[in-house]
Amino acid sequence: MNVLRRTAWPYTLALLCLVCALALGSAAAQERELDPRVFEIGRELRCPTCVSESVGESNAAIAREMRVLIQEQLDQGANRAEVLAFFQERYGDWILQNPPMRGMNLLVWLLPIVAVLVAVVAIARLLRRWRTAAERPIDVVDPSDLDRVRAELRGGLGDGAGR
Amino acid sequence: MNQGVSRVRRLLPVVATVAALSALFLFGLLRGSPDRDIPSNFLGREVPNFDLPLYERYMSEFGPRLTLDEVRGRPMVINFWASWCGPCYEEAPHLQRAHERYGDEVLFIGIQTQDRDARAAGRAFIDQFGLSFPNVFDGDSRTSIAYGLFGVPETFFVHADGTLQHKYAGPVTETILSEQIGALRR
Repeated sequence: MNVLRRTAWPYTLALLCLVCALALGSAAAQERELDPRVFEIGRELRCPTCVSESVGESNAAIAREMRVLIQEQLDQGANRAEVLAFFQERYGDWILQNPPMRGMNLLVWLLPIVAVLVAVVAIARLLRRWRTAAERPIDVVDPSDLDRVRAELRGGLGDGAGR
Repeated sequence: MNQGVSRVRRLLPVVATVAALSALFLFGLLRGSPDRDIPSNFLGREVPNFDLPLYERYMSEFGPRLTLDEVRGRPMVINFWASWCGPCYEEAPHLQRAHERYGDEVLFIGIQTQDRDARAAGRAFIDQFGLSFPNVFDGDSRTSIAYGLFGVPETFFVHADGTLQHKYAGPVTETILSEQIGALRR
């Protein structure tokens, strides 16, 4: 009996591994049944219940269901634009990874360009200022400044002599 | 003195930029969950029809399935929930009380969604709060997609003509329910 118990556990383990492999294989097969276009279109849609994940990437139940829905629509002859429009009609522009360039969305597209332009102008002005400063000879001193410094020095020496 | 003033003047744009960016960063941190504030795309439009299986306790009144198109004609409160969703347990007693308060004047419908293969848990949820308004099971979450749901709970306040007045994301309270239902009855 003990011998039987000792020899049985490797078989049990192997059986368990087989069951796990079959389960994983069938899950993968389910995903493989979907057209690659489903994942392409899915990547253009935000997963409604996830954070920063697309329908094409997410493993959330709702994203999986949305992928099946996309497949069904493709099977019925819908094209990419029609599938995207289907989800946009229900969720609004929010669902699109690339929101259309209109209204407040326009800011999302324009602000980075404006920011880059402002940065380029600022850096160009700064560089020009530095270059001008570097090119200016250091021995050119305003005569009025020279007079002021001389007068201060004389005053300072005078104070020292009187001490 | 002059040097100090000119240094301040030189630093002013840098300080202003850092302050503006910090304010933007703080705004981003403190604005909560912006997705919740996104209004439904059905605002002012007719909400989609659905035909879903009812839980057994409502079948004597409505039959085995509930079709929205067949029960339209009065103000409706359509609440989406799931058995795994904590806030849904918070709001369920408020919904039941509101249903008892408004009676037949307002139709309350509960839709269990994003909760695949959880009919037993759904039944337990309904029993726990003694929900007497019809509750249906959206097993494949298609109705949730049709309504453009972001999560659960979400509650849709629908006019008698079937158009959406307001969508509330998060657990509803007595105050929200009476405000929104008051507006529906006006």
